[in-house]
Amino acid sequence: MFKGVLYLFLFLVFGEIIVHLFNLSIAGSIVGMVAIFIALKLKVIKLNDVKPASDQFIKYMVLFFVPYGVGLMTFYDILKMHWIAIVISTVLSTIITLYVTAIILQKFGKDE
Amino acid sequence: MSEIYEQPLFGIFITILAFQLSKIIARKFKFAVFNPVLLSVVSIICFLVIFKIDFESYNIGGQYLGFLLGPTVVALGVLFYEKYEQIKANILPFVSAVFLGGTLSIISVSTIAIVLGAPEFILKSIAPKSVTTPIAVEISKIIGGVPYITAGIVIAVGIFGNAFGPAILRALGIKNKNAIGAALGTASHGIGTARALDEGKLPGAYGGLAMCINGFLTAIFTPYIINIVLTLFA
Repeated sequence: MFKGVLYLFLFLVFGEIIVHLFNLSIAGSIVGMVAIFIALKLKVIKLNDVKPASDQFIKYMVLFFVPYGVGLMTFYDILKMHWIAIVISTVLSTIITLYVTAIILQKFGKDE
Repeated sequence: MSEIYEQPLFGIFITILAFQLSKIIARKFKFAVFNPVLLSVVSIICFLVIFKIDFESYNIGGQYLGFLLGPTVVALGVLFYEKYEQIKANILPFVSAVFLGGTLSIISVSTIAIVLGAPEFILKSIAPKSVTTPIAVEISKIIGGVPYITAGIVIAVGIFGNAFGPAILRALGIKNKNAIGAALGTASHGIGTARALDEGKLPGAYGGLAMCINGFLTAIFTPYIINIVLTLFA
């Protein structure tokens, strides 16, 4: 478990360093996500070493974003002003996204 | 002397407490609106408003939990590696479907919002609305959105997809369960994927993978798409 936590933070630090060095407009954690996938694929690190930790982080992920959701309260006035645009655009866009993704896979995917 | 609620302990404690209580309530009422995240957020906001505590005081502790979203994004790379093996046979149509769906998500939400008169920072806050919260928050920070608005909208989109996604898709003629799983993961991330798991293990894997791929694609393309939309419509 501890080894896994170390790996996750190691790849997070790696991602942050890459972003800093190359001045990328992407989050360090996302670079870390891609890097750990490649490291697993190339067998640089073992799935069994990191999985106990990564499973825990994913299991409690929803707890970690509660504070961000609470932060919404500070934008009450702004949301009140723009809620119609926000609601219509997100609902329509979500339906479009659902349908386009599903229809492509249904038409061109193989059934297993 | 600083108040008791101005210590990190306060924010961390009431978040964990609210989350545990919300999970118990969510288990009793099996309906999407009783989502543990939504219940936690709403109950904490009510608590802070009633006791006249600032968000800033709460966030002295809350930010420690928020910080853990960083390593969680890295953990998603591990999840992706595990699921990848399960859908290898379908990888090309699958990635194309997620790519088109994910790109259209950013284009459509920002275009509709700007046509309806939303200001630029709202646009930038809701552009990553379909991807998993930790990634959406990072994207929002980088492109100049408000991460708190992003988190709120992302959670709402997840609950919308979870509650209505399968019914909408079936009404539109989608029968393939893997397609439903992929669509839920692409459009409404982890909360949608939870519903994809109700459709079966494989649709659940499709949902989880779609969430990871769309998170990655959205992180790369959002800044460019937003710039194009802004030059075209603003």
